[in-house]
Amino acid sequence: MDENIFEKLKILADAAKYDVSCVSSGVERKNNKVGSIGNAAASGICHTWTADGRCISLLKILLTNDCIYDCTYCMNRVTNNIKRATFTPEEVAELTIQFYRRNYIEGLFLSSAVVVSPNHTMENIYRVLLLLRTKYMFGGYVHVKVIPGADPEVIKKTGFLADRMSVNIELPTKESLQLLAPQKKSEKLLLPMNQIKTETQINLEERKKYKNAKKFVPGGQSTQVIIGATNDSDSTILSLSQSLYDKLNMKRVFFSAYIPVISSPNLPAISTVPPLKREHRLYQADWLMRFYQFKSEELFTETEKNLDLEFDPKLTWALRNIERFPIEINKASYEDLLRIPGFGVLTVNRIIKERKGALLSYDSLRKMKTALNRAKYFITVNGKYYGGISVEPDYIRSAIRQKEVQEQLNLFQLL
Amino acid sequence: MMEVANGDMDYLYDGSFEGFLTCVYYSYKCEKATGIFEESSYQHSIINNYKVIDTDSSLSDIVYDAIEKKISKEAMHIIFYAFLSCNENKDTNILKFIEFGFKKGKIAIDLYTHDSVFPVREMSTKVSKEEHRFLGLLRFSDIDGILYAKYNPDNNITALITEHFADRYKYEKFIIHDEKRKIASIYANNRWEIIDASIINIDELTEDEVMVHRLWKNYFTTLAIDERKNVNLQFQNVPARYRKNIVEFNNLQP
Repeated sequence: MDENIFEKLKILADAAKYDVSCVSSGVERKNNKVGSIGNAAASGICHTWTADGRCISLLKILLTNDCIYDCTYCMNRVTNNIKRATFTPEEVAELTIQFYRRNYIEGLFLSSAVVVSPNHTMENIYRVLLLLRTKYMFGGYVHVKVIPGADPEVIKKTGFLADRMSVNIELPTKESLQLLAPQKKSEKLLLPMNQIKTETQINLEERKKYKNAKKFVPGGQSTQVIIGATNDSDSTILSLSQSLYDKLNMKRVFFSAYIPVISSPNLPAISTVPPLKREHRLYQADWLMRFYQFKSEELFTETEKNLDLEFDPKLTWALRNIERFPIEINKASYEDLLRIPGFGVLTVNRIIKERKGALLSYDSLRKMKTALNRAKYFITVNGKYYGGISVEPDYIRSAIRQKEVQEQLNLFQLL
Repeated sequence: MMEVANGDMDYLYDGSFEGFLTCVYYSYKCEKATGIFEESSYQHSIINNYKVIDTDSSLSDIVYDAIEKKISKEAMHIIFYAFLSCNENKDTNILKFIEFGFKKGKIAIDLYTHDSVFPVREMSTKVSKEEHRFLGLLRFSDIDGILYAKYNPDNNITALITEHFADRYKYEKFIIHDEKRKIASIYANNRWEIIDASIINIDELTEDEVMVHRLWKNYFTTLAIDERKNVNLQFQNVPARYRKNIVEFNNLQP
């Protein structure tokens, strides 16, 4: 490696950093080839955290930022006057291995701007992967972006070398896509997603028959939606993710608060603050859908199409459905316990197990580090209610508000 | 002077897991132990009586099997992880848990908030969290073709994480050095062992190695998005006490 690799890495990491996905989970693989380096851990492993608090798990880079497209929201669009750079496949492989040996990373996340054509670009990505897996004997995690419009055959052969593949939807509706990325058609985006879903199903059947059949994208596929570049509501965004989970077996849908880096009449003003709080609420809602058996439509009403920014979505839902509370924790079903604000999946599992041997007390919940400052309004413990005078939404709302103000004051006194 | 005998009896052992289990054996077969402690760090007092127990693996095996059979394999796993904790009362707490488990059986570990269970499960979780954390935060340098990592974990997790790296870097040679406990694991050709770290001598980093460090630091800095800055979150995930051995946080080390 020589000095000019510094410049390339800077440009091509900078261009890749707005893609939020960096997870390395979903694949368990031992190092089982002679001379090979690397394995994969199903839980995923974070290796470090940048100054924005985001985890780095994979070496996230573009193969090139030299793009033929002109998407309004994108830094790399052809009409933008920025420095361009392109890695050779050897450079990417070498960087990955050197970082991996020192335990800086779990593997590689490779994306690319579109050069020459989608197919040409996908072929380039495939070549890097082939080099890494064969010549460099790399057994660690690899996530690659699929370039919509590439030949299905190229996508397929890449899928047998990658752990995860993703196509970014970027914008939640056809109209938004038309406005900001007219060269990307929603049908074209869905095509490779469908292909990956179908190939995965075929592959699962194959693997039932032949134990040694190669795995196709074992970590599944994910996608990303930009938040706040258009006027789409949270309800639109979450029903889109719901259908992606249900119909395409998507492993994850990521949300990325739009950061204005470009000024355009079609985009939010450059002074717009990125909607980080909104992004956070969407992730909480997504979590409720994936692990708490919520459906997206439960989180909205006829008039409320966006998530509440003050209170988290579970608390908001509970306040709207107050007639279902309080819930007796020593008797309630698993499903009902999951609906209690302040109760996580871990807490619920522990409660279910422990109450088989002994009734739980309020103090037990405290020991489990349950968020009782919220939960206490929604539960009874052996018939006793700890939430104050009444189970009434306005009262609970103001009590929680007051408590939070008090906590902030205490924090200031500490500082 | 007359000895103050109040019936308390502490058992002291050599620090090994087998040694600890041997104490548990004697606590059942002879006099019941009120506490179990590592001999080297034991605070002697005039109130407590103590006995030094010699490690005997045939006796510790009996206790090991009894825990798996009378409580569960999962309980054994929890006990082993809790044993690696830096908590100074870990041994006595584990003893209490074993006594409770022998009475209650399989369900003991599920009674999470019970006083005899809670401390052990908490310690075990902490150790397991730190283990997972260092699978990511450990940093190796290439020194003459050998991968060398130095770190300062709160708990005694070197053996745990070595298993992970022994698979990952199967065809490499590596050393993982716990600065705090002055021990190291050393791996080559599918075998590893824990050694006394005082014999390790580390050469200066080569120019090539320094370049890879710089490259990584540059990448790390580039990847942060200014508009999203959140240093508190970064501190939660990478606590200050670990940072001196993590190359991207350490400006003194080249």
